Parts: sequence; structure tokens; C-alpha cells
Amino acid sequence: MTREDVLKDFKGKFAGDILEFTDKSPQRVYVEIKPGSIKKAALFLFKDLGARFNIATGLDARRHLEILYHFTLEDINLLLSLRVKLPKPFKTSSPAATGGGPMDSPPTTGGNDGFVPEIDSLAPLFEAANWVEREIHELLGINFRGHPDMRKLLLSDDWPEGVYPLRRDYKEWDPKAIRDRGV
Amino acid sequence: MSVKLTALLKSPWVFHLSTGSCNNCDIEILDCLTPRFDIERFGMLLAGSIRHADVLLVTGSANRKSMERVKRLYEQVPKPCLVVAIGECALSRGMFINSYNCPVPVDKIIPVDVYIPGCPPRPEAIIAGIVKLIGKVKAQAQ
Repeated sequence: MTREDVLKDFKGKFAGDILEFTDKSPQRVYVEIKPGSIKKAALFLFKDLGARFNIATGLDARRHLEILYHFTLEDINLLLSLRVKLPKPFKTSSPAATGGGPMDSPPTTGGNDGFVPEIDSLAPLFEAANWVEREIHELLGINFRGHPDMRKLLLSDDWPEGVYPLRRDYKEWDPKAIRDRGV
Repeated sequence: MSVKLTALLKSPWVFHLSTGSCNNCDIEILDCLTPRFDIERFGMLLAGSIRHADVLLVTGSANRKSMERVKRLYEQVPKPCLVVAIGECALSRGMFINSYNCPVPVDKIIPVDVYIPGCPPRPEAIIAGIVKLIGKVKAQAQ
């Protein structure tokens, strides 16, 4: 199958799930997809198209948490990134929400402090997703539904629960930390 | 204690501990052991175990996980022992000073005798640091 056939096939199959399709370059395609349909899209890529799951990237963007699942289709030399955007927890009173001007502030319909971003885990489909999902879980606080083993991966055992170091609103929590060079 | 140390410093065996460095300082330490710089002319040998070592070389900015390992290793060194911090990360954590995972520098965890700055320090700098350390200990003994 050529590159065009593969992409047409993929677009046709997930017409209702794709939110945005960016044909970035001959080797790179970004597909934004609904968070609910990540599992079937990944399964289609992995099982039917024979794509290799490279890695996943988690990031805390200004208005949402984002996960990029990178798949390589080696026979057509294409790197396809599935992007999902998850709503992020926010506080209405936090300075971060009001600091960036009206364009940047999330909707001001009240805070959702107890909210935990969630998405289906891909670890039951392929083992390679196991560790990277654990890492995204501990660093960004995204919960993966159906993950077999959601323990910490990299952070130390005494790291406090509910503190996620790569979130934009992360604050120093350790009173013993020294942040100057002593000169 | 210093007499003991002076005796040891005729042939100090070093143990190399990387506490999460980028491997650049580690490669410079290995460079010191090659024939080009030939640190063995000072009687220095790389020890395979911390229990055989007289000098502990620490590289890297000790992160929360390796902090515990540094403490545990320091407990196992036969005393007296000397600690050499090599590279900017081991001295003050360098660019990782504000990292969530590097709360304190190495010298707040274990006592450090010599600081060798640089990112990475050249093998000549490491040799100069070690020679100064040997000189200092010998001066103390007299």
C-alpha cells in the first residue's frame, strides 16, 4: 500500500473520530483524535497496518493536557502521531488562570480541583505502552484506565501523592530543598 | 587518622560513583586511567568495590533516588576515606539546580574533600585536584 492508500484507509475508518488531520511533511502526519477512540485507532494502526509503537509523549499545554502516541509505518517511511487532548484540572482563583489574559484563561465556570484526567490504557494492547504510561502517570497525573500496574516508575518512593512535577502549576513542596549555590 | 591516610595515599584506590550524571565526567575519569594521562603513576587504581576503596569519586547531581545510594555507599567505605566531587553537577548541580529531582548538592549529603569544577573537567584538572588532595593530606600529617 502506498502512503496515500494508508492515510485514506485510516481517515475513512475513523471519519467520526478524527478532529484534525495535519499532513506535516512526507514523513510526518499528526492526527488529532477523540480521547474515547484512542484504543480502537491504536489497535487498527498496530494490528491491521502493522505499525510499530515508538513512544508516547505527554505534555501540559496551556489549555489542556496532551498525549502524542507516535507510530512508525516502516514500509511507507511514515511517522504518524496520534494526538489526544484531555481537559486539565484548574482552580478559578489561581494566578496562572488569570495571568495570561482573556485568551489564555480556561472557562471560568468554577474550579474542578478533584478532577483527574483519564484515558484508556494501551498497555493491554501492546506491552511497549506499559512503562511510558506509568511515566506519564507519575509526571503529569493522567490516569490510564485498564493499566495492569500503575505504580511509580522513575520518582523516588517518598515522593508525595498528588504532586506532579511536569505540570505547569508545579510548586516546590520539599522544605529541605536548597535552591541557591551558596555563593 | 592522618598517618593512616598518608600511608594509604601512596597508592589510593579509587571507586567511581555516578549519581545520575550525563556520562561526560565519567568519560573524563576513564581518560585519566588511560596511558595518555596515566594516573596510575600516582599509584591510583580503579577499585571494583567500594569496600576496597580509599577515595570515592562522585559525579553527577545526586537525585532523590541516588541520594540514598550515596549515603549507603559512604557507610560502606573503610574509614578514613576521601571524597572527591567531580564536575559542576556534583559541586552545585549546575543547570539542574532548580530541578524537582535534585533537592540538595552532594556535599550536603556526605562530606566532600576536594571539588573539581568543570563541565566536564579536563583530565589535567582532575589530576591537579588529586595531587592537591595528596599534598594537603601529607601536609596535615606532618
